[in-house]
Amino acid sequence: MRTYEVVFIAQPGLDDEGLASLVETVKRAVTENGGEIVKEEMMGRRKLAYPIRRYEEGHYVLLHASLERPALNELERRLKLSEDVLRHLIVRLDEVA
Amino acid sequence: MVEDYDREDVENDVDAEEPSEARTEERRGEARRGGGRPAADQRRKRRLCPFCVENVKTIDYKNTMLLRQFISRSGRIVARRKAGTCAKHQRMVARAIKRARHIALLPFTASHTHSAR
Repeated sequence: MRTYEVVFIAQPGLDDEGLASLVETVKRAVTENGGEIVKEEMMGRRKLAYPIRRYEEGHYVLLHASLERPALNELERRLKLSEDVLRHLIVRLDEVA
Repeated sequence: MVEDYDREDVENDVDAEEPSEARTEERRGEARRGGGRPAADQRRKRRLCPFCVENVKTIDYKNTMLLRQFISRSGRIVARRKAGTCAKHQRMVARAIKRARHIALLPFTASHTHSAR
């Protein structure tokens, strides 16, 4: 088990409810595969440094999750699949903090 | 506006390459005027790496305030010889900047800025 920092950018068109359910889906991808959410932080709606899919802004969400390698692959697969996720980044927590 | 950034950058690059040009000129010329190492008191004092001074272990890619100091106005990563960072911390800075760019916290180029629209 390793702890990873997951950051993803959600599409700005989402309302609070839509965003909450998206975050919930992502978190479920972790917990359903034996992982654990250690920290959850909404970094808020921010302006993107450059447009992504024509969007100029996005909702930044930060998660810390402890999970095994297969669970990580599944999480990443789902993040890639989701239309509402503009970008994501997963790094080992020990590299950042 | 964008041209301004670029001009500034080119100027800096030319400056940086000057020593090597001077060297070749020296090699070609018959007389080696004023060659050799400057005296110890004339040499520019080597700056300590700003991260080593603070004993920094990790550099967070989310810390854009810090990372912005290490990108030029055109968005490029500032060279180690200009930034004054040691090799180890420069690698950490570079990696953090690249990560920050990926999640759109920092631009890849100046033309990415919203003025383009």
